[in-house]
Amino acid sequence: MRSFISNFKERLRLPRMFFRRPSREEQIHGGPPLEFERPIPPAPWRGIAVVITIVVTAATVAWELYVRSLGYGPTLNDNEDLWTLRRRAVEPESLVIIGDSRGWYDVDLDEFQKGLGKRPIQLAGGGMCGFPVLEDLAKDESFHGTIICSIVPRLFFAPPGTPPFERGAKVVKRFHNQTPAQRASQYLAMPLEEHVAFLKQEELTLDDYLKNLPIPNRSGAQISPRLPPYFGTEDRERRSRMIEECANPNGELARRIQQIWLPLFQPLPPTYVPKDVFMKQMGEAIGKRFRDIADAVTKIRARGGKIVFVRFPHSGGLKEIEDRDQPRARTWDPLLQQTGAPGIYYSDFPELKDFQCPEWSHLSAGDSVEFSKRLVPHLRAALKM
Amino acid sequence: MLFNSLTFIVFFVVVVALYWSIGSWTLRKNLLVVASYIFYGAWNPPFAALLFSTTAMDFWLGRQIGKAKDLRAKKRWLVASVCMNLSMLGFFKYGNFLLQNFQWLVARVGIIYQPPHLDILLPVGISFYTFHSLSYTLDIYRGVLQPTRSLRDFVLAVSFFPQLVAGPIVRAGDFLPQLKHPPRLKTNQFLWGLALMTLGLFEKTVLADTLLSGPADRIFGYAGPLVAVDSWAGVLAFAGQIFFDFAGYSICAIGAALTLGFHLKDNFRFPYAAIGFSDFWRRWHISLSTFLRDYLYIPLGGNQVRPFHMALNLVIVMFLGGLWHGAAWTFVVWGLLHGSYLVIERIFRIFFEQKPWSGTLPVRLLAGFATYSAVCIAWVFFRAADFTIASRMLTGMFGGHPNGDMILSTRELLQIGIVTAGVIGMHWTMREESFETTVMRLPAWAITAIGSVMAFAIIFTQGTSNAFIYFQF
Repeated sequence: MRSFISNFKERLRLPRMFFRRPSREEQIHGGPPLEFERPIPPAPWRGIAVVITIVVTAATVAWELYVRSLGYGPTLNDNEDLWTLRRRAVEPESLVIIGDSRGWYDVDLDEFQKGLGKRPIQLAGGGMCGFPVLEDLAKDESFHGTIICSIVPRLFFAPPGTPPFERGAKVVKRFHNQTPAQRASQYLAMPLEEHVAFLKQEELTLDDYLKNLPIPNRSGAQISPRLPPYFGTEDRERRSRMIEECANPNGELARRIQQIWLPLFQPLPPTYVPKDVFMKQMGEAIGKRFRDIADAVTKIRARGGKIVFVRFPHSGGLKEIEDRDQPRARTWDPLLQQTGAPGIYYSDFPELKDFQCPEWSHLSAGDSVEFSKRLVPHLRAALKM
Repeated sequence: MLFNSLTFIVFFVVVVALYWSIGSWTLRKNLLVVASYIFYGAWNPPFAALLFSTTAMDFWLGRQIGKAKDLRAKKRWLVASVCMNLSMLGFFKYGNFLLQNFQWLVARVGIIYQPPHLDILLPVGISFYTFHSLSYTLDIYRGVLQPTRSLRDFVLAVSFFPQLVAGPIVRAGDFLPQLKHPPRLKTNQFLWGLALMTLGLFEKTVLADTLLSGPADRIFGYAGPLVAVDSWAGVLAFAGQIFFDFAGYSICAIGAALTLGFHLKDNFRFPYAAIGFSDFWRRWHISLSTFLRDYLYIPLGGNQVRPFHMALNLVIVMFLGGLWHGAAWTFVVWGLLHGSYLVIERIFRIFFEQKPWSGTLPVRLLAGFATYSAVCIAWVFFRAADFTIASRMLTGMFGGHPNGDMILSTRELLQIGIVTAGVIGMHWTMREESFETTVMRLPAWAITAIGSVMAFAIIFTQGTSNAFIYFQF
């Protein structure tokens, strides 16, 4: 007698196909009918499904409790769909914040609303070059509102193809091409992310755990520096706040992040382009960027819109690097000169210059409120409000 | 709507719940049509109208072919169907490509022509649903299918959401008979369908997106020369990524269809254990290779012609197969390479197939290794954005950049090595049998453990809703 297994194997290898004269009903749908039935491996599937459900649920709950014990809390993921949600909120006369993470972390929306009379829309983002967003707003013929643009020269003048520029370009592209499905997924994800701590892309994923494995690299390997770990929370308006654990400049987290900024702000030039050629290319790209910014600003102002550039506080070793590599005289001053737009450089004003960034790049949540309050009069003056 | 998105989870739960709670078969089929159009419209609603219009045209043309009394009339209607489908594909997919090549061509004879750049948005999955639809009129013409009287059933056959945008390419002749009688809800079949979906999502989110896509993207996006190790690692990473991405989608589609009571055929059968290129194409994207075989290769004469013509037919078929994947010469070269591989294999067979040593294990292993290596070399053209990148990659792979850069971390190299060894090992282990047979041999506790690990790994990776590679085709 043939075993059950050999019978089954035969069935698997030869799918059940047979030809016969089609009935009238079958002719309606086509004939000769080619019937094919996928084999279902015999197993106690009901019991397996129940056990898998219990195991996965238990593992997920345990994982959630574990990450909370490490200090993580629920917060929204900052992705292009959340950004697009805010971009869609921009109306012709809106007050919009664009640029990098300093304009993102250091601005308190409530204080700006109180002081400027409008609730700002937060479009700045982590490690983002604000130029693609500025350019997109300039192309939007209906927009004639006010732009507060945060400037970190290494990011704002980053040429196309570099990560900061691509981050900015990516969100703009998503805004224009977002599908209904992507929009729906964002609305579904937000309530989950607001209640579940482990839902942190770029922080608590398998990929991130793999990246943290202590495996030494080959000598001479050019490995991209790591991005900083979780140090802030974000709400549906994209208001970002530094978490308490990071607010202490001598704390472990803040010190770790300080050391992460250093390689990120001193990227090595590519090895495959001669240094002088690379510097020439960079010079040309930056020159073009100055012209493009001036064009965008002119367009916005021609429609009655306003723009102000803001240099937010930064401290410690990071400030030294920025002052050395992108000095004010080569970045900030020509920017204001070529655009004719007003600018606020935090260190020019006694009430703004003494803020300290715990991890050298951003203000603590408490300081961001106070800084915003003190910044408002300067913004009003610059924008002639 | 991506399988690896929250929207799909909600959509799928609602559709499955409604589907099995409705008694009327007609209403259930209507529900599937509506759901499939919502699934498709979730990318770009106007394209749903395009999908419907081509489907309706083929439905009508199919009936004309069926009604036609003589072969000439049948042929006329078939030509109309082929032209309609291919012109739609040509306009949306190849419009700019054709214009650019025309510009290049006329420039050779000194005519400066600046074509307008057509701002054409490619309807997602157009290559797949065009073939779903085209198979219907082709099969009616070939006499293996009667035209259906129900437009709704044909619309469902073309647009059935699990296979709509990235395959498998399900022929109307395989699907329409399944609409005859309402399927019964079978618990084991339903749960097996969910198990396949879990496996597919695991392949996509964990293996393709988390472990392989990053290194592959960086290597193929790097503008400088790379040493051999990094170049090969990038190619192996892409070889794994595209398999897990596409096979993962196919398995999800098969699983989703099973939960609704429909049976779709396998699209992959352990391709990286192929011995030879004919074997590879019997295992890789089976629904496309059989489509090209039945509707192109055999009508061209297939194997029943003189050797030179057969070789030419193979090259023509693979050339068009390459072009089907994308409007770029790199895809054409990929197709031509595979065409050449097939021809070379035929020549080898003539000389060596009858030799007693040709079936020994070492020779089979060697042939399998050679097949995999050649497939990987062809992947360079498939993945590279242009010939400059492809050429740089190939130079790097064959030691042309001994002082090139090293940009992958040791951890990434290990990841690629382990996943590649794993996939090749598994494919060789299972090459003579079906996936179902392998599962059947496992004890229940092992299935439970593997299922739990895969489901938790999907949650652990969280996913970033990366689109499946084959969506662009």
